[in-house]
This record gives sequence, C-alpha cells and structure tokens, in this order.
Amino acid sequence: MKKLFYKFILTLLIVFCCLAIANFIYTKYYYKNDIKILDATMLQKIDSLQNICDVLYFAESSNGTVSNNDTCQLAISEMIDELSPLKVGAIDHGAVHARSYLQLIKNIKPNSKVKTLIITLNSRSFGSPWINSQVETNLSQADIIYEPSLPIIKRLKLAFNYYDNKSVEFRNLMNEKNWSEQKLNVPKNFPYKTVRQWDNAMANGTYLLPDGKWDSPKISLACHYIKTYAFSIDTNSNPRIKNFDEIVELANEKKLNLVFHLLAENMQYADSLVGKELVNIMNENKQLLIDRYTKKGVTVVNSFNLVNGKDFIDQDWTTEHYNQTGRWILAKNVLKFLR
Amino acid sequence: MLFNSIHFLIFFPIVTILFYLLKHKWRWVLLFFASTYFYSAFYLPYILILYVIIIIDYICGLLIEKSENKLKLFWLILSIVSNIGLLAYFKYYNFFVDVFIDFVPNIKHISIILPIGLSFHTFQSLSYTIEVYKGNQKAEKHIGYFANYVLFFPQMVAGPIETYARLGNELKTKHKFKYKNIASGLRLILYGLFVKMCIADNFAPLVNDFYNNPTQFHFAYAWLALFAFSVQIYADFYGYSTIAIGAAKLLGIELMNNFNQPYFANSFYQFWQRWHISLTTWFRNYVFFPLGGSYVNWFKWIFNILLVFALSGFWHGANYTFIIWGLAHGVFYLIEKQFFKIVPININSNKFLKAFGGLITFLLVTLIWVLFRAENVGKAIAVFKQCFSYSLITKNQLTVNFETAFLFFLFLFFEILIYKSRFDFYIKELNVFIRWAVYTTLILCIVLFSGIQSFQFIYFQF
Repeated sequence: MKKLFYKFILTLLIVFCCLAIANFIYTKYYYKNDIKILDATMLQKIDSLQNICDVLYFAESSNGTVSNNDTCQLAISEMIDELSPLKVGAIDHGAVHARSYLQLIKNIKPNSKVKTLIITLNSRSFGSPWINSQVETNLSQADIIYEPSLPIIKRLKLAFNYYDNKSVEFRNLMNEKNWSEQKLNVPKNFPYKTVRQWDNAMANGTYLLPDGKWDSPKISLACHYIKTYAFSIDTNSNPRIKNFDEIVELANEKKLNLVFHLLAENMQYADSLVGKELVNIMNENKQLLIDRYTKKGVTVVNSFNLVNGKDFIDQDWTTEHYNQTGRWILAKNVLKFLR
Repeated sequence: MLFNSIHFLIFFPIVTILFYLLKHKWRWVLLFFASTYFYSAFYLPYILILYVIIIIDYICGLLIEKSENKLKLFWLILSIVSNIGLLAYFKYYNFFVDVFIDFVPNIKHISIILPIGLSFHTFQSLSYTIEVYKGNQKAEKHIGYFANYVLFFPQMVAGPIETYARLGNELKTKHKFKYKNIASGLRLILYGLFVKMCIADNFAPLVNDFYNNPTQFHFAYAWLALFAFSVQIYADFYGYSTIAIGAAKLLGIELMNNFNQPYFANSFYQFWQRWHISLTTWFRNYVFFPLGGSYVNWFKWIFNILLVFALSGFWHGANYTFIIWGLAHGVFYLIEKQFFKIVPININSNKFLKAFGGLITFLLVTLIWVLFRAENVGKAIAVFKQCFSYSLITKNQLTVNFETAFLFFLFLFFEILIYKSRFDFYIKELNVFIRWAVYTTLILCIVLFSGIQSFQFIYFQF
C-alpha cells in the first residue's frame, strides 16, 4: 500500500510537471493561434481597451454593421464616443450574447481605467432560436478562451469538452420542442397557443393576414418573425436571464457602472406582418427586462421602439442592424444616460 | 457522456473507487446507476429505450428457455422483431420514407434524434436471446445483471459488441482490486485518449474541409483527404475501443479486442478479421452461418457473402452509401477469394507479396471509405471524379501542419511497436524510465496537440 501511495504521488508530480512545461510551451507558441482558430478576438480587445477607455460598449453585430448606402460608417459605440467627452471602446463580435460578455468582464482588472459598461440587452437573444443556435458550440468554445485563467487550463477544458458541445441535431430538436410545447401568452380567444401552431397557420395561409393577400417571401418573413419573437421569458429558467443577473453581480463586485442598452426591434414590421398579438408579446418581454434590471439598480436605456422599420438594414430578415439614421438615434439615446 | 470529457474524468474515478469499496453483491446496483447516468448525459429520455430492450429481452430469454418448439421460436422472433423494430423506427424510418414516398400516400418524415449507439445495444442484446434459443446460454434470472450486460457504460455506446457468455460472466465474477489491472487500464485509457484526441481530431478538420466541397481541390489533395479519413476513422474508433477496454479493465472486467492493426492486413479477408472484430463476429455467427455459411453451392455462397456485407453496411447507417460501401467490400472480398483459387499462392510466404498485398488492400479500403464518409452517392461520385481527374487546378488547399505530421508518425511508431501485442502489455515490459518517458510524451501530446475543435466519436451515430 505504501508503494502504491508513493507511485500515486510520483504520478501526480509528473502530471504537474507536464502541465507546467506544457503551459510554458502552449502560451509561447500555440495560444495565439487557438484564439484565432476559435475567433475569440474580443479577448485581445478587452486587454488593450481597458487601459485606455472610460466606457466599454459590449455588443453583438448591432454595433458595427453598416449599410452600403450609409455616408457615415461609424459604429454605435464610435458615435457615442464622438458625442461624449468620455473615451468609449467597443468589445463586439457577431452573434455573441451575455454569456460571453460575462466572461469578458471578469478580465477587467481592478486598476483598469474603465468606469462604465454599456451592454446591449437584445431581447431576441432570450428566445429559443438564439439560445439553441447552431453557433452556440463555437461561442461556448470562445467563452473558454475568455475565462481569466491559465492558458493551459483553457486548452485542457477545450480538449476535454468542458463547454456546451451539443450536436446541431440536438439543438434543432430542443428548438422544435420549445416551439411546440411552450404556451404563448396570448388572449384566450386567440386560436394559436404555441409558436408551432401559429407558424403553421401562417405558412398554410389559414392565419388571418393583417394586410390582405401576400406573396410567399412576405409569408416566410412573417413566419420568421413569429419563430423569433413569439416567446415569453421565464425568469426562472431562461439562461440569458441568468447571464445578465450574473453580470449585474459582477459589475457590483467590481464597482462598475452598468448600463443595459435595450436594442430597437422592428416593431412596425412585427405589427404589419403578424399583428398585435406578436407586438403585445414583444412589449411584455421588453417591460419584463426593463422592470427586472431597473429594480436591480441597472440603468436601462430603452431604445426598443425608437427606430422606424425602414431604418433597419435587413428588410427581409429579423436583425438588429440599423442604417446610419437608426444608429445615430440609438447613440444619442444612450448618451442621455451616460455618466 | 464522452470519454474525452472532464465530466468522465470526474465520473469514472468515483465509480471505480465505489466499485471496489462495495461488496460484490451490491456492485451491480452501482454499475446499473452509473451506466444509466452515463447514457442519460447524452439525452435523458432515450434511456427508456434501453430499459425497454432490457425488459423485453430479459423476459424473452426466460420464456425461450422454458418453452419448446414453435413457442420457443415465437419468443425468439418476438425478441428479434422488438429489437429490430426499435432500430427500424429510430434509425431507418426516414430512410424508408424516402424510398417509399412515391408509393405510399401521406407518409411523412419524423423529426427525431437517433439514440446514441442503438445499433450496438440491439445487436448485443439480440445475441443473448439467440444464444439462449440455441441452447448455448442459460437464461439470466437476475434482471440487474442482464441490465448491466446491455448497459455496461464503458462499451454501451460503441462496443465492442460482447456476448453474454463473455461480458455477462465477467460482470458476475467477483473482481478484487489489483494494481496490475489499474495500471493496465490507465495505460489503455491514456493511449486511447492520445489516439482519439491527437490523431482523429487533428485529421478531422482536414477531412471535413475536403468533403464540404470536394470539387474545390485537385486530385493530389483528394488523395490526401482520403488518406486522412482512413487515419481518422481508424483512430476515432480504435481510440474509443481502447479507452473502453481500459475503463473496463480498471474494474477488473476484460473486454474483447475490437481491432488488430487492420491497416497492416494484406488481404480483404484479413482486414475483416482485424477491423471491428466484434461486429464481424456477430454477422458471421448470426447471419452468415444460419444462411448456410460456406457449405452451400457457389451462387448461394456469393449471395450470402454479398448479403452479409450489404447488411453490415446498412447496420452503419440509413443511407445508400453505406449499403454500397458494404457491397464494395463484399465484391473485393469475393474477387480476392476467386483470385487465390485460380492462382494458388500463399501471400504470407513472401515478404514482397505480403507488402504488395498490404498496399493494394490499404489503397482499396481507403478508396471505399469515400462511400462511408460522403453524405450521399452524388457526393461520393464527385470525390471519386476528383481522385481520378488528374487536374492540377485547385481553388483551395489542404495543409497538414508540422504538429499533425509529427503526431501521425508517433502514432505509426507506436502501432509498429505494438504490432504483435497490445499497448498495455507492451509498455509493461519496458524499463521504468522509458515507460514514464512514454507516459509523459503522451500526456504532453494530449495537453498541447489534441484537436482544438471537438468531434464526436464517429461510431456513436451507429
């Protein structure tokens, strides 16, 4: 037994030495390449910007997506930077959400220059299609890189699948399950109680269309609006709520001002394509988020209804991409609340 | 739960420690719950499918033993129909919808995830009822032991497909804590992780890049990708099997070897004696022999061989590509048999012939893997066209970096060293310093060079 114990200790010692050597080699030669492969570039942004910026603007593609017709190609964060005496920097990347922001905020050092965090509160990111998105696996891998720990530990976590690596089929199934089973908060006399029923009715033409006869691209867009926005946020189980709650706690710990920027959605199209039931659901979600985070002491900038339908860049899809008019409106709205 | 996950690295030591702490009579309870937990980590509701298989085959086994003649046959057929029925519904339903959609009105696809390893469970469980029917196996009275035979977590999702005579009895035997079993098991797990994480997962992106758009690459890249897939599929499945054997060994349980260096085979006949041995054995015992085996006329024999290979292809997946893959192996197997009948040479008698046979076999096997990897027949044809186009025009490039090349040669080196042995047996005989140098190298390789992107074990989908 004693011999076995010594062997065990020796094994542990060797494994530890291996890890120490591996950490040195990995950090020096491979870490940067892994950051590139996993597209975890926000880590470098936060490392460099936290020493020069007063405000960090965390966002997905809503910040930097511009239209080819825009004469002003500035991102929302750059517009805020122009309007404000404070130095504003953007930590942004397409399709990211609060879980990534949470990991990134952990990297802000106590002696950094940053005093305020503006974080986009994208109501669409609370819905099933985004939660069960096919890019979740890649985002989860990038989140491992964003964690403030030794590079070799991150490498081990990645190698040993310590992230959300569900298959695409599984995610699709979960999404379909949510659409079929989750009851919508709609009036009692409304015939469609789930997204699946509503979407099918719209696709089959049995749903009463608000705008007379439509062509199929318009029906397809209307279906997409239903699948994207028709959900009720369950504050007990929604993972995005958990992420934002943790961000609030972390910001409090780090004594950082927190501003949540509730992004504009295309309410005009939601209304004209689908109808008031969808608009009501979207407004309920909006109000829930505002109430919840205002109560927690966060400044919530409400831009939800501020942008006109025509000022959204994508006219045939649901996104939060705005043309220059839309971006300036949002930047000016945020500025009102920026201390 | 994946073997190459932190989840497993925590779960497995706990199970092992509890296993040896518990009295033998309670170990089946531990293994049952551990296996249930292991499988449920993939998708909880699907454990119910396994429970259904267990209950049906447990009852059928008892009834087969008690019954005679037609009734006995009835219980066996019930077991076969239930198992194959579950498999047909979950794995083949949508395939048959595609086949019959023009003939059957209102037939629709179903939205479903294939339960991981379903083909393995059903075949393993079926082998039990068939053996009971044949009188070679006594029916198991203890449902817990039988459940563990179907559920045993190290091999439940991708084999080896064990018989009850082996695994059932191993599970019933009282295994004492032995240092040599622990050391041996850990060695196998380490080597298996290296093979899966450093070899299979590093070759996977290269293969995926090519198969996503094969027409973008010229013929040299096409052959590189084909070669890479040969390495990937072997490393993926062999790595899994090695970890499975190692994990079972830690619990004192011996599983059969599923591979015996198949790419060193010098004929198709030898290849199938060395590749996925447990499945080959299953088809030989339960399909080929009942059809008459080799003791039938020439035409029937050819039919039997082709049928077994086609079924073995279809076992892998509900796609024409798998059936053609199986048939292609069958055709080459038959050509080889006929060739050696006409030209009576012993390929093993001459080193040159042996090497030549090995090279031809490897090249053909590599070429046929295209059917296994391609998503559909059209894509497989596109890949074959690229392989033989001899055009040097390319839009994209495939690159093998230095680390991947180094890992491949290290793997090849180990495989040559253990040609006539198994990794754990070979390593045990080495000098302590060399042994630890090997461990250190493997650990460093896993930590530094394992694939950054995760790829699920290929055979999980079967």
